[in-house]
Amino acid sequence: MDRDIYLIGLNHKTAGVEVREKFALTDCKHLEEGVVPVDGCVKEALILSTCNRVELLVVAEGDNAVEHILNCWAKARNLPVEELAPYVYKHKGLDAVTHLFTVAASLDSLVIGEPQILGQLKTAYHESVDKNTTGVILNRLLHKAFSVAKRVRTETGVASSAVSISYAAVELAKRIFGDMSEQTAMLIGAGEMAELAATHLLNNGISKVYVANRTFARGQALAEQFNGEAIPFDQLFDQLEKVDIIISSTGAHEAVIRAKDIRNVLKKRKNRSMFFIDIAVPRDIDPDVNGLDNVYLYDIDDLKEVVEENLAQRQEEANKARRIVEIETQTFNKWLKSLQLQPTIVDLIEHTDSIMEEELAKTLKHIPEATPEMEMHIREMLNAISKKVNHEPISFLKRRHEEEEAGERYIDITRRMFNLDRDDVTDKAHPHRRR
Amino acid sequence: MSSFELFSILVVILYGLGALSIFTGTITRNQKLRTLSNLLTITGFSLHSVLLVYAMASNGWALPAGYYMSMLSWSLLLIYFFMWWRFKLSFLSLTASPLALVLFIGSFHIVKGGSQLPKAWSGAFFGLHIGTLFLSFGLLAMAFGAGMLFTRLERKIKTKEPLSNFEKEMPALTTFDKVNQLAVIAGFPLYTIGLISGFIWARIEWGRVLSGDPKEIVSLGVWFIYAWLFHQRLIMGWRGRKAAHAAIWIFGICMFSLIGINIFTPTHHSFLQ
Repeated sequence: MDRDIYLIGLNHKTAGVEVREKFALTDCKHLEEGVVPVDGCVKEALILSTCNRVELLVVAEGDNAVEHILNCWAKARNLPVEELAPYVYKHKGLDAVTHLFTVAASLDSLVIGEPQILGQLKTAYHESVDKNTTGVILNRLLHKAFSVAKRVRTETGVASSAVSISYAAVELAKRIFGDMSEQTAMLIGAGEMAELAATHLLNNGISKVYVANRTFARGQALAEQFNGEAIPFDQLFDQLEKVDIIISSTGAHEAVIRAKDIRNVLKKRKNRSMFFIDIAVPRDIDPDVNGLDNVYLYDIDDLKEVVEENLAQRQEEANKARRIVEIETQTFNKWLKSLQLQPTIVDLIEHTDSIMEEELAKTLKHIPEATPEMEMHIREMLNAISKKVNHEPISFLKRRHEEEEAGERYIDITRRMFNLDRDDVTDKAHPHRRR
Repeated sequence: MSSFELFSILVVILYGLGALSIFTGTITRNQKLRTLSNLLTITGFSLHSVLLVYAMASNGWALPAGYYMSMLSWSLLLIYFFMWWRFKLSFLSLTASPLALVLFIGSFHIVKGGSQLPKAWSGAFFGLHIGTLFLSFGLLAMAFGAGMLFTRLERKIKTKEPLSNFEKEMPALTTFDKVNQLAVIAGFPLYTIGLISGFIWARIEWGRVLSGDPKEIVSLGVWFIYAWLFHQRLIMGWRGRKAAHAAIWIFGICMFSLIGINIFTPTHHSFLQ
């Protein structure tokens, strides 16, 4: 069978943003038959186009499949193929499978372990299913890719630990306070990163957000956004007593909060812990604050360091994940090979044989007086039933196999119907399938 | 071998495997091993309870001599299970399970040479005396474990050192502090009741409150430090590092007096009798 899986694409590693923009396929949904039409040598096709990558996954036969796909791609963008070719990687067969699994598991992403890519791949797949451009192989391949991604996520730490400043701050807050439902936060000054951190805190169940801004109106608007309370800037220190987490990002040129101020606040708070996050440059909070007992202060550089640490750790975990991808590629290969007639027939017969042996053993246990002769008769009867039951499906498969196109589909159906690949299929395996 | 001895050995094995699996589970970050450890310890604890009930039943419902260490080991685990249930602090198993094992093995050795105490030992004040003191010992042990973990994690957060995987899985700082809080708020009154009931009992039995026993002196010393911590924590609002350090010290002295005095010094508190 010269039919094979091809994956052709470019990503943030092989092409700059201008090239990626030029050859993006996000706005090609209007093309009725898709970027790579499914006819002739192309049997199945799927297009994934995000801001960091464009990938064309195609099942095709014939020797010039790669050129054909590249031509289709260039044509869809109305650009000469020569402009595209130097930036493109071409994977075939198992390499394509490995690459797809790597992408789905977010190991090929700019930020390893980021969760968006899986969602984008799922959307791309559903679009292809709607356009009816996927078939037996891509359906199976994509479902496998989704399960690989899930496995990597749960079995390795690629997606754990924060890789953005605001997430890192929230993670630290959790390490200090644990349950956030009794904690309150205060924003001093407003800024994009401070707002982001406040949003994350709210998502993690923080009970209230106060906003202190030099322009009171701006503070009020922000407080409204977080369902919080605005306080006048000059009353800042009176309110600090109530607050556990302080995110500061004012444009002030010298420290807004000093250690001696906090010492008084701590006395009133009976030393309940406080966590200061200073994301302003120049810094708003005097570094000496960190020297007080039960007070923790992280400035922007500290947080950056945490993020870098976490990124390095993700890289380490990625190696573990790549081994999972390797193993899963082999499993997929096994299935791919089994899509031929002979192995399926063998599997089908083995399947019934194993049921037969099991049931025979159970039955014989109940008749201890059974003679070897009786056993032989029962076995013969079971053999005959098994043969006769299997006869029709097998000859049906053989007939279909001779008609060019239909063979694989029926073989796949048979394998799934009798669960010859021993997959664990849950009841809700295909909620999106309407047909 | 009597079935009683067999039971005791089984408890040792269960506690031993429990302690072993919590340590390997923590080092290798294997959640299954940690769950297994808790299951083993719970099973051991149930058997241990049966042993204690049996021992008391055959002694007219009073704890026979030689069972104090065993009872102490049991109380410690009881407190651990409470902490686990209340604060989800299965991490404290790192302190509880090996300590319970050591105490139980110690008691095993003592039970062998066990003798009967005079009947007077089973008075209500005596029961109150050891019951409350053992519970406060358990609370202190947990505050010790929590304090050690707290100190380590707190220092790293404060100095912004990268956390190890083990530390990343640790509960939050406030959770550890809650253990300290409980050990102070509940532990100190229990300890006080323990001391007072001991003195009352001594007055009834021996006709005098103090007899200059080394254990009495050390315990009074501990009471003063404990009272100081109680005051600092409740009135001065001590939290976190300082309170954790104080609890570590108090437990250290208690351990010292337990091993140094109850076992190796001639005292009327001797577990060896």
